[in-house]
Order: sequence, then structure tokens, then C-alpha cells
Amino acid sequence: MEQPVQTETWKAQSLEELIRTLHRVFAEDKVSVEEVQELMESYESSPEEWLQYAKFDQYRYTRNLVDNGNGKFNLMILCWGEGHGSSIHDHTDSHCFMKILQGNLKETLFEWPEKKGNGEMIKKSERVLRENQCAYINDSIGLHRVENISHTESAVSLHLYSPPFDSCNTFDQRTGHKHKVKMTFYSQFGERTLC
Amino acid sequence: LPAGLSQWFPALEVLDVSGTGLAELGAELLALPRLHTLLAKNNRLGGPGSLPKGLGQAPLGRSLRVLNLSGNRFAEVPPALLGLRGLQSLSLGGNRLHGIPPDIQELRSLEFLYLGGNFITSIPPELANLPSLSYLVLCDNKIQSIPPQLAQLHSLRSLSLHNNLLTYLPREILNLVHLEELSLRGNPLVVRFVRDLTYNPPSLQELAGRTIKTRSVPYAPSDLPENLVRYLSLASNCPNPKCGGVYFDSCVRQIKFVDFCGKYRIPLMHYLCSPECSSPCSSASQSSTSQSESDSEDEASVAARRMQKVLLG
Repeated sequence: MEQPVQTETWKAQSLEELIRTLHRVFAEDKVSVEEVQELMESYESSPEEWLQYAKFDQYRYTRNLVDNGNGKFNLMILCWGEGHGSSIHDHTDSHCFMKILQGNLKETLFEWPEKKGNGEMIKKSERVLRENQCAYINDSIGLHRVENISHTESAVSLHLYSPPFDSCNTFDQRTGHKHKVKMTFYSQFGERTLC
Repeated sequence: LPAGLSQWFPALEVLDVSGTGLAELGAELLALPRLHTLLAKNNRLGGPGSLPKGLGQAPLGRSLRVLNLSGNRFAEVPPALLGLRGLQSLSLGGNRLHGIPPDIQELRSLEFLYLGGNFITSIPPELANLPSLSYLVLCDNKIQSIPPQLAQLHSLRSLSLHNNLLTYLPREILNLVHLEELSLRGNPLVVRFVRDLTYNPPSLQELAGRTIKTRSVPYAPSDLPENLVRYLSLASNCPNPKCGGVYFDSCVRQIKFVDFCGKYRIPLMHYLCSPECSSPCSSASQSSTSQSESDSEDEASVAARRMQKVLLG
């Protein structure tokens, strides 16, 4: 009898191991979205491993760069206070993985608006992501808004973007009008960046 | 909480009793003179006596800077905490509040106020008397309108209003020059230019008052009964800069649209002295629609540019 072919499944035991494995995965010519999603989901969030990157701002959510993936990807930690949310945005033709490290985040998916955009944007679906779950999105799937809807708990998420990008479009839900914005980091490699 | 708390830990600065099922915070806390942060989220607080009596006068009342009572069962803001004159941060998110007491203005040092996730239907203008307020969260409530006095919160940097019942905003909101964040999603904001059709024609007294003011008819206090002298002093200027008109009680509420920082269109409430008051050139209502829309955009976009970076969600 033929032996069934075993596909390698990556599991990360720590944040450091996750980063090392991601470097290996992205060094290849071809990267499988499912593999990366499984890898990210396999890491069991352990706060002492990422607390140094988790810098909160009382007014809005923060983006904290953890690793710049040799230019192949950006890995960052986002910190969401109670009630903090993002605008509806796209992902500038990149892959976006989002894993919950602490708390919960609500993701609302939207259809791309019509060319001119002159009506309320259409909601496709919404879900609440739990701790350690990893979601994936790219521009062909649609647009999304991410928010911490809790009024009592903060949330922390780990994001991987490949290729890295520093600008995207935000969309007005009521009209579909879009506006290009530049994205900045609140901290890089654990150090607060002044902008 | 154990009765000897303040004797055993007199230097205590931060106390977190969140998620412990507490139904009341007792008097044993009052004698902690160094406690600046008290976190009591997700408990069973909310009934009478949830907070100790005499809180404002106790050593704890003078030291407390941060109080988090989110995720409890408060149906009203507990009066006991209104005496905390040094309090900088207060969270009552995720409770059962139906309103905000005007006495909230007693919290003179308040910078951060989180009231998201309640059942609040209106905002008292007294909230605007908090001189240091920089972060105000009112999301996920049942608020139908914002009092224009809120524009007096000069320190306000972030205002969270998403998921309420707002159809428009007062135009005074443009005066908040330090505002950097404003969230409005999930409100039934009026998208198209709307004319309020329920305009009540002005009274004869009002018409006479307007004439006196706009024609600068001279009068001395001895010429008129005292009540009319007072009435004349209450004239408001029509917000349309191209109109020199004044109004007293009779005005048209129009929803005008402002392109906020060139991005989004937000309905702002304008008070005009009459439906015809839009620009000197307009006559028919059709032409006045587009003319007055661009008029309001002119003056409003100047004010909006003053608001610098406003991130709308």
C-alpha cells in the first residue's frame, strides 16, 4: 500500500519561533495562504512574549512594528482600547493576516463600492474573532472594518502584510467615497516612534 | 473587601478588583490615602450603596485619579462619585445608564470620560463645563442630538459618537479646533440636503424687533418698556455671513452639508433667519438650493480647515 503523502504542517511554539518560521516560509518562491494562516493560528498567544510591543494610546488604536520580514512582509501588533475601531479600508493589493492575541475584534466585510460611489456601502458579513483565531483578507475578497466593540476589555492583534505597504484607501460607509491615507507606526521593534 | 485594608496596605496606589463579583465597594477603601487607580470592572455594582458614603471628603476622594466601573449595573451615575474633584479618568462603559446628570460638571479635573454602551438618550449642556475634557466616548447609546454647547470643550481631542440616533450635528462642532478624532458611523445621518418644512412665520414682535436691529433704529431704555429693551438685546445674528439679518425666536432649521476636510459630507444644523436667507443673489428656491449649499461650504470649509486632521470613521 502506498504511504499517504504527508504535507508538512508548521506549528509555532513561541512568538520568536513564529517569526523564524515566517522568514523561512517567505524565503520560498511560492507561499501558500492556507499554510501561513495555519501557522499564525497555531501560535498560542503568550502575553509575556509580546507585551513589549503592545503600546496602547488612549485616543485610538496603534500599529506597532515587530518584524520587517527582510522586505517580504511586515509583522505588527495592533492595540485596541475599548471602543476603538478602524475605518473601512482596502489592502493595496497585499495579503493581510490578522490573528487575535487578546480580547475580541469584530470584522465587518464590505463590497467594493461602484466606480463613482454614491450610495451606502453594502455589508457582506460580520463576525467576531476570538483569541488565537486568524483571519485573512485581500482586495479581491473585499474591504473590511475592524473594531473592538467591548466597552470593558482592550484587544491586541497580530497582523502580517505581504508585500508590506504604507498607504491604503479609507472609505465613507454612507457614500462609498474613498480617500488615500498614509499609515504610520506608533512604535517599531518595541521603541516608540515620534511622528 | 477586608476591613483592615487601609491599615495593612497604607501605601497602596493601584487596586484592581475587576471580575470579583463585588456588589459594593465599602468604607474600608476610604482611608487609602495613596490610591490613585481603582479598577472595578465587570462586577455586580449598581445598587444603592455601591460606593462608600463620604467618598468625596475621604482621603481616597482626594487621591483618586482613575476610576473604572465599566461592565457593572449602574442605572445612574452614582452621586457619591461626583465629589471626586481630582478624578481625571472615569469609565462607566457597558452599564445601564439612561442619562448623564448635570452635576457631572463637578468633576473639574476630568480629562477622560467613557460612557459607551449604555442607554443614554440625551446629553446635558453642563457636560461642556468640564474644562480639561480631552476624550469623550458616547458610542453605542441612544443619543438623538448633541447640544451646541459641547463646542465649548476646547480641549476635546477625540469624540466618539458612533452607533447612536443622530441625524445631524450642530454647526458649532466646527469650533472644536483641537479635535483629531470624530467617529460618526452607525448614525442615521441625513445624506441629502433637507429643508425643514415646519417653519413658523415670525410674530409681529419679532418682525418689529428685526427691523429695529437691521435698520439701526435708535432707541433709549426710556423709550420702551423694560421687557422689550431686554428682548431687543437677545437678537441673534444670522449665521449666513452674507446676510446682515438677525432673528429672535423664529428661525429655519436647515440641514446643510459640509465637506469635512475635503473628505466626508456631514449634515450640520444651520439656523437661518428665514427660508429665503441663503445668498443675496438667490430668489427662486431651486437656485437657492445649490447656491446656499456652496455658500455654506465656503464658510464651513474655512472652519473645517481649522480643524486640521479629523479622522472620520
